[in-house]
Amino acid sequence: MGETTGAEFPSMSLSWVMLAAIVVIGIFSLFSLWMGFRAFGSDNPEHSTYYIFIGTAGFAAIGYMFFRTKAVMIKRMEVPKVQVVTTLECPSCDLKRVRDFQRGDYVYKDDEPCTRCEGTMVVTGIHKRAEPKRKR
Amino acid sequence: MIPHAEQLFQNQSEIGMILQTLFSLSFIIYLFYAQRIQAMSMLRQVEGTMRKVKAIRDEGRRVSIETVKEVGKSENDPAPEVDRFMEHFFLPPVDLDPAGIVGKLGQLLNVREKVWEAEVKALAPAASESEANNLENLLGAALALNVYYKVIRHFYLLGKKTMNIYVIMQIHMILPMIMREIEAYSSALQAFKEGMPIGDSVGALVAAKMMHGHEWEEVAKDIVAAEVPYAERTLVVMKAKGPGGAVGKPGDAVENVINGRKGKDAVKAVVMVDAAGKLEGEPTGAVAEGIGAIIGGVGVEKYKIEEAAKAHEVPLYAVAIKQDISEVVAPMVEELLKATETAIESVKRIVEERTQPGDVVLVAGIGNTIGIAQ
Repeated sequence: MGETTGAEFPSMSLSWVMLAAIVVIGIFSLFSLWMGFRAFGSDNPEHSTYYIFIGTAGFAAIGYMFFRTKAVMIKRMEVPKVQVVTTLECPSCDLKRVRDFQRGDYVYKDDEPCTRCEGTMVVTGIHKRAEPKRKR
Repeated sequence: MIPHAEQLFQNQSEIGMILQTLFSLSFIIYLFYAQRIQAMSMLRQVEGTMRKVKAIRDEGRRVSIETVKEVGKSENDPAPEVDRFMEHFFLPPVDLDPAGIVGKLGQLLNVREKVWEAEVKALAPAASESEANNLENLLGAALALNVYYKVIRHFYLLGKKTMNIYVIMQIHMILPMIMREIEAYSSALQAFKEGMPIGDSVGALVAAKMMHGHEWEEVAKDIVAAEVPYAERTLVVMKAKGPGGAVGKPGDAVENVINGRKGKDAVKAVVMVDAAGKLEGEPTGAVAEGIGAIIGGVGVEKYKIEEAAKAHEVPLYAVAIKQDISEVVAPMVEELLKATETAIESVKRIVEERTQPGDVVLVAGIGNTIGIAQ
């Protein structure tokens, strides 16, 4: 199940027809743009808008094709691992300590000895460490 | 030498004619093939998502196998057994004649629970009770991820085969919602593997905070309860038995407690606390109060609670702790941990305002108790 086989994971790869179409549209668009710029200095400047429009539309189409293909070509996705912290409190002297979560921790577990008094620290909370907010 | 534009434009320009023809042709092609182009575009998006889901599903499988090896200490390779578990399915009872369907559904769920417990026991014979519960949760998450992946792949292949935009749209339209659930399950893998409290554990945590330090007893399968005196009332606080990942049978527990207490010890009110899905715009950890049995699942436990409450005319009060779908099975966020204090205040206020001194009030903390003792 875990292995990647062609039968299990079919893919719409970028076919040679698509590549040929991109190349043809690219040449055609480039030529169209060149014609448009040339037309500015000619006797028919009204043609330039028309050619530049076709050339730009061609490049937009190529960009769109690449954008769509990019989604398919993304590298293997990593499943993110979150940081979790454990809060410990001493019921005798109210000392509070926060440390990284360790496997086997659970809420109300009697944990390590208190460093301030002779009591035993108890796990009072386990939660995900807050992620710093991203600035836009 | 490159010809000048003027040379190319000789009398109406041949190139201009060609360009215009191509432009018109592409317009006509688009007129007839727009839907097909759109279908291909949607298929690409579905394919991208499918790759992501496959990566998460494979991670679920890998983590499950790794955990079985760690806690089970089995000498055999658990991979084929984990793969078999991930293909498990559940057939709900026929609903053509819905009378008695809850009983049938409950019976089937009990059978599934027993089968899963036996499977986990066979996979990891050396695991403790808590570890076995956590492993069961982990395998459940891996199974769910496998189902998501296979359903998306089914619609993708069917869409590709038929090139029918309506087949493709069925999966394309719901992909963003499905992805939120899948990403939540991917976070659950870490929580279930290491036994961390999750978003759904808030109800159990509220009950744990209220009953901690009091003597408790098992009142139904995997459900514990303790009598806690509060403001001249007696609170019977119940939650699933932790710290292993379990939800228990809160329906049976509420039924047992209500039916088992007569006369002056009779339960006068039930206050339930559970995690609830928030709407976009609502903050995580917001606490709201309402009426009714607040409990998720297929409805069997909710039905039992409502039936018991109706039979004894006991009012049902609900306290909801709001959270996003992506937080329900992910490790608990700080806002939810803080919200448990607000929820406790809500429970206490409901008890003081809606019951009389001397009354017995049942407080049920609903949800998975993974990482929370009592």
